[in-house]
Amino acid sequence: MGGYGDVQMIDENGLRMDGRSPGDIREVTIETGVIPVADGSCRMTWGTNEAIVGVYGPMEAHPRKIQRQDRAVLDVAYNMAPFSTTDRIRPGFNRRSREISKVTKDALESVVLLELYPRSKIRVTIEILSAEAGTRCVGLTAASVALADAGIPMTDLVVSVASGKINDVVVCDLNKEEDNYGEADLPMGILPNSGELVFLQMDGDLSQEEFKQAWDYNMDAAQVVHGLMVEALKGGDSQ
Amino acid sequence: MTIPIVPKLLRAHLSDLAANNARIDGRSQWEGRNLEVEHSVLPRAEGSARVRMGDTIVLAGVKFQIMQPYPDRPNQGGLMCSADVRPIAGRNWEAGPPSPEAIELGRVVDRGIRESGCIDVDSLCIIPGEKAWQVILDLFAVSDDGNLFDAFALAGIAALRNATVPAERFEVGEDYALPVSKTPIMCSYHKVGGRFVYDACSREELGGDERIHITLGDDDNVHSLQKGLKGIFSAEEFAEIMTNAQERTKELRKILDSM
Repeated sequence: MGGYGDVQMIDENGLRMDGRSPGDIREVTIETGVIPVADGSCRMTWGTNEAIVGVYGPMEAHPRKIQRQDRAVLDVAYNMAPFSTTDRIRPGFNRRSREISKVTKDALESVVLLELYPRSKIRVTIEILSAEAGTRCVGLTAASVALADAGIPMTDLVVSVASGKINDVVVCDLNKEEDNYGEADLPMGILPNSGELVFLQMDGDLSQEEFKQAWDYNMDAAQVVHGLMVEALKGGDSQ
Repeated sequence: MTIPIVPKLLRAHLSDLAANNARIDGRSQWEGRNLEVEHSVLPRAEGSARVRMGDTIVLAGVKFQIMQPYPDRPNQGGLMCSADVRPIAGRNWEAGPPSPEAIELGRVVDRGIRESGCIDVDSLCIIPGEKAWQVILDLFAVSDDGNLFDAFALAGIAALRNATVPAERFEVGEDYALPVSKTPIMCSYHKVGGRFVYDACSREELGGDERIHITLGDDDNVHSLQKGLKGIFSAEEFAEIMTNAQERTKELRKILDSM
């Protein structure tokens, strides 16, 4: 976490700087079919975060050495566009984006029915166009919508949400300031129909009680976002 | 970029269409696709634009950095233009270091904007020899259905015209709009079925031959030219597309000016 500053981020009424209660998430919008040439795509805004995801495939996996005889390979890339942050990001892979690509791939491989497409490849490209804390969660959630938009069979969608702690108060869905000055961050990838997890990370400092509270906030938020995802996939615009 | 196999049937089909003065998507020879230009679409960029031409969609974002001027040009800032076509934009674009195709795209668009002199690099100086603004224009392809060149060039100049210099954030004065004195516009022509057409879609690019890119400034001055891919063209063919480019760039400039 950024630091254990003295910045006061919860007011006397228990509200956060952007007016949310501790358990509230930022506004989420979801749109599918935003990349005309892709097999499936999703644009998701979450606060000032914006991610677009393109899915191509199942298609030929080449070179042949990457093929698997019993299943498809999933090629997942997470990237932040150069203009997605206050200071420009130099294009190209870095250690952070590699790690997020890997854990996102691990999460999606847990739900996509890869064994239906032996020797082929499914490509998932996550591009962050605007970043405001929690981009890995937005990327993973949008990727599962884009996979569904491409008609690729999955056991469930994945909803990813993070909760954390600011000024010793557990809050859901940290924004940029809260993430910078917060004391803990707990992102989870949740299967909304079963309450099981496919993605989990944490850093910071949480007591057992605080951890339980953060976990519960994430589970509740997942249900809310899941409703919007289903709505977007059924053809309506979600707001 | 992987080079897709070009079916002989597609080439033959495009030739037949050209012989009947028709195109694969029903347009006429010099007709462009439906065009949409939007400003201020990226919340974290100091200037931005989204351009949609048919099913081709691109974004352009402007960021600023403070640089030390080059010793031989102590009173000048800099302009940098970089284009990236990531795998999200189409199944033939692959991850990894920029392909020669993507580099050509970025450089041709960069030349058109730079050589037009639309950004006065002398005005970007803050303290001579010490501090100057570097303007960075990043072009990003969302969906490639052909003619990324024109889409990038148009989004690029639209984003620059939309940019605010973030002087307050860098504590060097007050924010101000980036001065952009000219509006260079690029028009691209592909030879498809033996004749040149304007604004080729991806199927025309796939089954076509050479392409020519022309960037014209406000007074029809020529700022950049590029011939790409294998093919031979005549002086007469070039004269014809240059005439068309003069008309088309005026129309596009009007669209930007009306925003």
